[in-house]
Amino acid sequence: MDSGGVWRYRFAILSWTIAWVSMFALEEKLDLANLAMLMVLASALSAIWLPGWASVVISAIAVSAFNWSFVPPKLEFSVDLYQNALLLIALLLVNWIIAGLMIRQRSLAEAAHALASSEARLRQWGDTLRDANDPIEHASALRAVLKETTGAEVVVLVMRSYDVRSCDATSLQVGEPNNEQESGLSLCLKEGYALGASSGRYEHLPDVYLPLRGRCVTLGAALLIGFRHHPDRKQLMPHLQALCDQMGGALQRSFIAAKEHQAREQAQLQATRNALLAAISHDYRTPLATIMGAASSLYQQGDRLSVNQRQRLARGIVEEGERLARLTENTLQLARLDAPSVSLRCDWESAEEIVGAILRRVRNRGNGARVTAWVEPNLPLFWCDAILVSQLLDNLLDNGLKYSPDDAPVELHASLESDNLLLTVSDRGPGIAPAWREKVFEVFQRGDSLKSDSRREIDRGAGVGLAVCRAIARAHHGELSLRSRREGGCLFECRLPIRGHGQQVPDTNVPEARK
Amino acid sequence: MSRKVLLVEDDRVLRDSLREALSIEGYELKTAASLADARAQLEHLALGQSIDLVVLDLGLPDGDGQALLSQLRHTSSTPVIVISARDAEGQKIQLLDQGADDYLVKPFGIGELLARMRVALRHRGHSAERALLVYRHGPLEADLRARKVLLSKVEVHLTPTEYALLARLVRQAGQVVTHRQLLTDVWGAEHVDQTHYLRLYMGQLRAKLEVDTADPQHLLTEPGVGYRLAESDTTD
Repeated sequence: MDSGGVWRYRFAILSWTIAWVSMFALEEKLDLANLAMLMVLASALSAIWLPGWASVVISAIAVSAFNWSFVPPKLEFSVDLYQNALLLIALLLVNWIIAGLMIRQRSLAEAAHALASSEARLRQWGDTLRDANDPIEHASALRAVLKETTGAEVVVLVMRSYDVRSCDATSLQVGEPNNEQESGLSLCLKEGYALGASSGRYEHLPDVYLPLRGRCVTLGAALLIGFRHHPDRKQLMPHLQALCDQMGGALQRSFIAAKEHQAREQAQLQATRNALLAAISHDYRTPLATIMGAASSLYQQGDRLSVNQRQRLARGIVEEGERLARLTENTLQLARLDAPSVSLRCDWESAEEIVGAILRRVRNRGNGARVTAWVEPNLPLFWCDAILVSQLLDNLLDNGLKYSPDDAPVELHASLESDNLLLTVSDRGPGIAPAWREKVFEVFQRGDSLKSDSRREIDRGAGVGLAVCRAIARAHHGELSLRSRREGGCLFECRLPIRGHGQQVPDTNVPEARK
Repeated sequence: MSRKVLLVEDDRVLRDSLREALSIEGYELKTAASLADARAQLEHLALGQSIDLVVLDLGLPDGDGQALLSQLRHTSSTPVIVISARDAEGQKIQLLDQGADDYLVKPFGIGELLARMRVALRHRGHSAERALLVYRHGPLEADLRARKVLLSKVEVHLTPTEYALLARLVRQAGQVVTHRQLLTDVWGAEHVDQTHYLRLYMGQLRAKLEVDTADPQHLLTEPGVGYRLAESDTTD
């Protein structure tokens, strides 16, 4: 018995004691009816604190004792006056009525309390679920809530996704059911209604299965082991089902949110892809048009063209072919670097070698002779993918050559800047307006809303070349940016960490050749 | 006598245009569209006939070129030039390491192919001895018999390692030599992964032999693959 119970009994005993002491003390001064009022008072007080059966019994005993002690003839149970008998009967009935009213009032209060606590539980559970990022994580919390409410052992099964409806790897199970219980859970999940005692289906089962229902779908099931024997199971069932359905609703909401997120990402990806394809196909069209024109002219008018004309057309085809090859290379590289797990083929490389190789490659092209290069002496080796860095420099030089006058130099510098290798490519072209300095690195920045006077800048930025450059720099944990030069033209600055992503610098003590 | 070339390439248009271009240059062309086809052609050569050079595309429908290369190397030292797309980088280097003579990345001009073929034939051909031992390119001269390196007629002092590296490149002048081949031949097989040895020593060599180290004329880099000493001026 808890301490509250003890106090109830103490209060009851105290009120009876005071009543009896007062009755004996006041016996000479008061008549019988007034003494009886003290009895009624004590009985009513004790009925507040005592259980109903105790009040009834105690009232009966008290009325008998009153008869014995105060009603003449005293010290025996017989009653000599009819009016005294009526008094005693009325006394007993009033005491019992009071006790009955008390019992009823108390059970109403208890029911109200139970209702309030189950409401509070529902509300709290609702809050928990609403704040949950992933309601699946709360399967064990549902289990705890059900366990606390019913005292029964609980197993919870929840789906991990919306579409799959079987108890396999896509579902999560908390608790350990036996085979029969497992198939009960599956059935409950599949059919979406409660099974077992008090459910109207499979009433003979010792356990109860409750579905976790969302809108038009069941997303899990809860098993209450041995719930058949719970005294309040009928009253509890709707409450338990409400708890389960809250979980089902939360699961459904989170699945829908996840699907929506996925769909939005997909749409965004598609939009990006479309923009990329549009940009790329635009870039391909120009060289293809030149090639088509020249080749069809050679094919159809070849015999009427002079040797010089034929040579010129053929050279155009070769040059545009090279441009297409570079474009293809850039597009492929961009797609590759865009992949989540891009792997670089890094090694300790020499900036001097990469610059030398790229210089040779660029100079072999039509207008590449005006490229000059300077490499700071004694640069340390740096950790990079040589082919990618070559491609980066190739694109920057190509860009510089394309957008500067035919007699202006394009310069490539390599130097050390604290822990970075600084590669710069500068030209003496018209430069790029500040508003476009970031946008030139974006493949799909071929705006429709642009004024015609900024056409040149747009053409300059459009395409994959510079986007690939930046992707390459970033794949090396470096950065590529664009500045304008005081003397006019563009200055591209690429900073690449010498040690890549925390590589150990190689030992420069190289052994001699073995011979 | 015209040189016989086996061209293994599965794309019909490229095969036909290369055949015409090479025929104009005086080569006698045999073509194959697959590895099986190429193998059959090699096996059924008429008695006394031989192939002087193989141009091998890597992206063939019935497998990689490795099997064909080892078959060729088993019986002869026929030069092999590998044609690869950019994405077959790894395979290309593997074939070079295993003895292919040179490579070209698609798309390429006919001029590049002819230059590679010329160098390959010279190395495996009749004038092999001379070409391997004396190298001359612009102001740079290297005479492997005398162990002498001259720059504008002035002797350049090289450390033994620098000399070993240069000599290895001279022996295959005009052709690419992979990192692995250089490391194996100069430092030994246990050092094949130490590519930074090469970077450092090639840097030293460039400092001694090139006018502008950022714009080398002799010691050329093939990023990601190896090094190439510019083709010797010496003519057969």
